[in-house]
Amino acid sequence: MNRNYRFICLFIGMLSINTAQAGDFDAMLKGLLKSKIAPASPTQPTNSAEKPLAHLFKAAVGGDNISEEEEARIGQQWAGNLLGAAPLVKDDNLQRYVNRVGRWVALQSERADLTWRFGVIESEDLNAFAAPGGYIFLTKGLYRKLKNEAELAGVLGHEIGHVIRKHHLKVEQKSHLWAAAGGALSRKFKNESDVVQNLIGNGAEAFARGLDKSAEYEADRIGVVLSARAGYDAYALPAVLAEIGHVAKSDKSVSLLFKTHPHPEDRLGQLSEAVGDKLDGLPEGQSGAMRFYRLR
Amino acid sequence: MKLLFTALIAGAIFASPAWAASGTMIKDDELRQGAMASAASNGQVKKGATVEVLARKGGWTQVVSGGVTGWVRILSVKTSASNAGGTALGLLQMGTARRDPSRVVAVAGVRGLNEEELRNTRYNATELTRMDQYISSRSDAEQFARSAGLRGIQVAYIDTAKQPKQEESSPAGAGATESSSVGGGFSF
Repeated sequence: MNRNYRFICLFIGMLSINTAQAGDFDAMLKGLLKSKIAPASPTQPTNSAEKPLAHLFKAAVGGDNISEEEEARIGQQWAGNLLGAAPLVKDDNLQRYVNRVGRWVALQSERADLTWRFGVIESEDLNAFAAPGGYIFLTKGLYRKLKNEAELAGVLGHEIGHVIRKHHLKVEQKSHLWAAAGGALSRKFKNESDVVQNLIGNGAEAFARGLDKSAEYEADRIGVVLSARAGYDAYALPAVLAEIGHVAKSDKSVSLLFKTHPHPEDRLGQLSEAVGDKLDGLPEGQSGAMRFYRLR
Repeated sequence: MKLLFTALIAGAIFASPAWAASGTMIKDDELRQGAMASAASNGQVKKGATVEVLARKGGWTQVVSGGVTGWVRILSVKTSASNAGGTALGLLQMGTARRDPSRVVAVAGVRGLNEEELRNTRYNATELTRMDQYISSRSDAEQFARSAGLRGIQVAYIDTAKQPKQEESSPAGAGATESSSVGGGFSF
């Protein structure tokens, strides 16, 4: 607890540094953080038992109120780093196809007008990733497992779910604001990109650590619903899960996926419970098997 | 080429009984006489029971359990080796996929994406810029969907019991309403 308060002091100290004296990175940080802190302080009544500093800190890290611009900036950083580890598959038709299917699915969500970007990356692993702001990736290995367009839509719908519910931001804000607060004071940053990186993480930790189980289950439910809204077979995502569930746990291609996600069997079980009879009236959707773009 | 394809299909058909259509119940369900909730029941299948999967119709799949045939919800069954309730075509594709030896080779020479690779990555601005050229606009995506006869329909989000009912959002992003509730929630 003492340690926490020391960090809060550092954090507040950093915010009060005069921009002109403290250099560019402080201005940057201030800009990024201000919007998260400002709205909360006047409106939210302070709990009398709570220290004002603690309250301010909570407002800063607990927020859903990150701007779309900031979100895009984070996503860009993470996406650039992910592409550093695994570049896009060099197949224009594939990438264009995946963007069309993905955008059509994303159009069924409440964030239809984000700048959605989709990419298939060079990796034989089975995995898919989402970064804030609408960056979505799936590996070539996973793409190869898919049997039709509806399955692609389901997988992309799951990732779209993470973006529209801002699952990553809720985790990142907590862990990285601490680091940024300390780092800004110690002046260890060389440039703006460094500051941003430190504030929001490089994405690698996020992708390697994964999200809360409940976020994955929620994304599965969203994936099913968005693909159904888009006119696809709603049961295509569960089919992909079942398929991935058949891969041995010891298989290297699923080691990261299984480390960061509940086992497909648990995901199917959760989905089954959540869906119950709720999709009974659903008209039969398309599988899009004929149009599905096959990897060469 | 055609001959090879035929041979593969024939192989898959002959091989299929070993893996194609067996499944396990992941929850209790009724064996209904038809593919709808209102159909009369032929009895119950318990979670964990092994079933033979015969067919699929929408959200329903026809199974045989202990000599009794009936329809259960597709999400009540986990198939053993293929697509849950996969069509015959799906099963055939699986059959060929599994017997494709080039695939095994591809996986053996894996380029992985493990934690270490992720942590040691370097920002790739060129690839990121490349990504932008593939962006599909709203009208482009809508045109793409229309050309395949895909039409948006209304389906409510599925929330778990402990979550308050969520507002239904309209398809095709008619409104930019931001949902504030997060299902499941995070525990910190």
